[in-house]
Amino acid sequence: MSATGIGAAVRRKEDRRFITGTGHYTDDINRPGQAYANFLRSPHAHATIKSIDATAAAKMPGVLAVLAGADLAADKIGNLICGWMIHSKDGSPMKMAPHPALALGKVCHVGDPIAVVVAETLAQARDAAEKIAVDYAVLPAVADPAAAQKSGAPQIHDIAPNNTIYQWHLGDASAVEAAFRTAKHVTRLDIVNNRLVPNAIEPRAAIGDYDAGTGTFTLWNTTQNPHVARLVIAAFVGMAPEHKLRVIAPDVGGGFGSKIFIYPEEVVALWASKRVGRPVKWVAERSEAFVADAHGRDHVTHAEMAFDAEGKILGLRAKTIANLGAYMSTFSSSVPTYLYATLLSGQYEIPQIYCEVDAVYTNTVPVDAYRGAGRPEATFVVERLVEVSARELGQDPAELRRKNFIRIFPHQTPVIMAYDAGDYNASLKKAMELADYKGFGRRKRESARNGKLRGIGLSTYIEACGIAPSQAVGSLGAGVGLWESAEVRVNPTGSVEILTGSHAHGQGHETTFAQLVSDRLGIPIDNISVVHGDTDKVQFGMGTYGSRSGAVGMSALAKALDKIEAKAKKVAAHMLEAAEGDIEFKDGKFNVAGTDKSAAWGDVALNAYIAHKFSGQELEPGLKEGAFYDPINFTFRPVVTSAKWKWTRRPVIPKSRRGLPSTISALSSIR
Amino acid sequence: MAGETAAVSMTVNGKPITANVDARTLLVQLLREHLRLTGTHVGCDTSQCGACVVHVNGKAIKSCTVLALQLEGANVLTIEGLAAPDGPLHPMQEAFRENHGLQCGFCTPGMIMTAVDLVRRKGNDLDDRTIREELEGNICRCTGYHNIVKAIAAGARAMRGGSTTSKAAE
Repeated sequence: MSATGIGAAVRRKEDRRFITGTGHYTDDINRPGQAYANFLRSPHAHATIKSIDATAAAKMPGVLAVLAGADLAADKIGNLICGWMIHSKDGSPMKMAPHPALALGKVCHVGDPIAVVVAETLAQARDAAEKIAVDYAVLPAVADPAAAQKSGAPQIHDIAPNNTIYQWHLGDASAVEAAFRTAKHVTRLDIVNNRLVPNAIEPRAAIGDYDAGTGTFTLWNTTQNPHVARLVIAAFVGMAPEHKLRVIAPDVGGGFGSKIFIYPEEVVALWASKRVGRPVKWVAERSEAFVADAHGRDHVTHAEMAFDAEGKILGLRAKTIANLGAYMSTFSSSVPTYLYATLLSGQYEIPQIYCEVDAVYTNTVPVDAYRGAGRPEATFVVERLVEVSARELGQDPAELRRKNFIRIFPHQTPVIMAYDAGDYNASLKKAMELADYKGFGRRKRESARNGKLRGIGLSTYIEACGIAPSQAVGSLGAGVGLWESAEVRVNPTGSVEILTGSHAHGQGHETTFAQLVSDRLGIPIDNISVVHGDTDKVQFGMGTYGSRSGAVGMSALAKALDKIEAKAKKVAAHMLEAAEGDIEFKDGKFNVAGTDKSAAWGDVALNAYIAHKFSGQELEPGLKEGAFYDPINFTFRPVVTSAKWKWTRRPVIPKSRRGLPSTISALSSIR
Repeated sequence: MAGETAAVSMTVNGKPITANVDARTLLVQLLREHLRLTGTHVGCDTSQCGACVVHVNGKAIKSCTVLALQLEGANVLTIEGLAAPDGPLHPMQEAFRENHGLQCGFCTPGMIMTAVDLVRRKGNDLDDRTIREELEGNICRCTGYHNIVKAIAAGARAMRGGSTTSKAAE
C-alpha cells in the first residue's frame, strides 16, 4: 500500500481551488457574447393563461427575445419526463401529465415558468420580464395531498382523475390481514413526513451554447449526473441527437438530490441559445430556487404494527399518500414506492408487510428524491411504530428492538430486499454503551431534582446504499440501468488519469478515487487526476446519488485497474524477458518471481508506448482500460442513532400579564 | 435608475481599478462580472448566506448588499487577494484544508473572509461558542459546521503574531 492509498490521512486534492476562490462553478463560467435569461413565473397555484402580451417587454432596452410555451411547442421541443414507470395495482400505467418547459395554456404551481426574457444583461432581462402582461383566470387550488383525492377537489391534469397518479401496492394483503387477526396488540399511528426544500448552497444554473457551424449544443449545468441530463434532453425533449449535445457539470456546490433532475430552465437555456444565436446563461435566485427546485418528502401515512403476546412483531401495514406536486419530476415515481416500501422491514424480522401508496398531483412545486429518498421516510414510519409500541406495551424501547432484530443472514424481507449480512445487536449494544443508556434513569432523576427534563431516543434502521443493481431496478420499472463506468488512462510518464461516470458535488472524489489508484499502483495521488462531469471526455455514466459513487463507481475503477495490471504485466514480462506468469506486481514494482529482476511502474508505462519494442509480439501498444460495474445487490448499512436532550423548565411571564405564569420548555443543551 | 452608468474607482486586492457601472450594480456584481473575481459567490441574494463576504477597508461585509458606487476610494479584499498567488496560503485558508472545513467549497470563501475578520475583532483565542455565534451570517449546507469551527479556532491560533490582513490589502 502506498503512503497516499486507502486509509491514509491525506489532504483533499480539490481543496486548494476552493479555499483560494479559484474553483469553477457554473456561474463562474462566461461564454463570449453571452446573454442572460430571466424567467417570468406564475404567482398563482392554479390558473388558466388567457393571454400573454409580450409587446412592451420586447421593446425594453437590451432585449433579444421574449419566448413562451407556444414558441417552444412551435419548435417541437418535447416535454420533460419521469423516467421510472410505476404501475397501479390494477395494472394501469402511472398517469404522467404533460410537463412543458414553459407553461402552455395553464399554470399548476406557484413558480411554474411561463416565459423567458433573453437580454444583453441580467438587469435588462429582469426589467423586461416585469413588463410581460399575463391575463390569468385563477382556478381553485389544492396543496394538501390527503385533500387532493377527495371528490370536489380541483382537478389539475385531465389524464389523472381525482389527481391520482397511481395506486400502487407491495406485499401480501391477505397474509397481513391474517397476521393482524392473531395479534395480541396493535399499534396505530398517523404520521406526516413534511415537505422540505433541498436548498443546496449553490443555486442551480445553466449556460446553453449552440454552435450553428457544427449543429452542436453545449450545456454547462449544475447537475449531479451529466450523462443522464444529456440522454433525457436529447432522447425525450428532442433538443438534439445525443452526440450533438455536450453536457458539462463543472464544480457543483452541493446537490442533496435536487440536482439529479432535468429541469425546464436548462432546456430553455439550450433552446433560447439557438433562437437568439448567442450563449444564454441562467442562474437561480434563492427565492426562485424555493419554487423551481424539486422538493423532498411530503408523505401522509397511516401505519399499524401487530404484536404477539411476547412482543414479537407479526406484521406491518401502511397506507401512504405521497404528494408529487404539480408535475412528475424525473425520478419522482420511484421515491415513495421502490425506494420507500422496500425498506419497511427496517432491521426487524417482520413476517408480513403490506404497503399501499397513492401518489397524487397537487398545486405545489414538484417533489422528487432528497437525501435518502424514500428510505428515511420508511425509517420514520418503522421507528415511530416501534417506539410508540414500546410505550403501549410497557417495554423498554431498546429491548423491544433487540427482541425483533433479524439474526440470521442472508435474510429475505417480505418487501423485495434481501439483506446480505449484519449484526444489529452488536451495533445497538455499542450505541447504548456510548450513550450510557443504563445510567439514563439515574441522570433523569437527578435532572428532575434540578428542575430539568431529560430525554433519550433511539433509532435502529437500514439504509439501502450503492444504488443500484440494474437487474433489481430494471425489474421494478427503472428506465435505465444503474451500473457505473470507469476508465484508466496511463500516460507514458506513468501519471494516471481516471475517467469516472460518477460526479462530485462536495464528496471529494478527486481525492478518494485517486487514493484507490494510489493503493493499487503504488504511485502518489499527486500523479493521479480524476476527470468527471463532461460528456465529451467521459463515456456514459450514471452520476452521483443514492450513496453510489464509492460502492459502484469505485468498484468500476477497481475492475479497470485489474485490467491495467494485467496488461502492464505483459509489458513488464517483455521488458524483463520473463514469462508473464512469473511477473509479480507489488508496491509499484514489477518483479520476476524468485529473482532480483524488476521494472518500475514508470518504466513499464513508458515501454507500453514504445511499440517497436514489441515487434512480432501479440501485444497492442498503449496502457488504457475501461470497465463497467453492475452490483449484484444494494449495500445494506445498518445504523443506530441515539440522541439525548436536556431541557430547562422555566417560568415565563406572559406579556399581557392577564394570565397566570405559564411554563415553557426551552432547549438548553444537547449532550 | 436603470441604464444610468457612473464611474467608480477603488482598490481591489491591492490593485487600483476603475469601472463604469450601472448605478444599481452591487459590489458582488462588480467583482464577479466586471473584474472576473469569481471566488466571491452569491448563494442567496438576500444577505442570509454569507457566501459573498469580502473585506471593505478591513471589515467584513456582504458584497451582495452594498452598491459598487457606495465604495468610491475603498480598499476591497476578496478571497483571491488573501494570499499572494503562488505564495504560501493564508493561515486561515491552510486551517480549512487541514481540518477538512469544507466539502463542496461554495460557502468556503465567505467563511474564510468572515473568520479572518473575526480574528481581527476577537483575537487569536476563540472558543467554540464565540465562533458559532459569529458564524450566524454564514450558511454551510454540507459540513454541519463542526470542522469549520475547528478550522477557525486553529486558523486563529496560527494567525498569532502575523498580520490579520493580507499582503495585498496592506
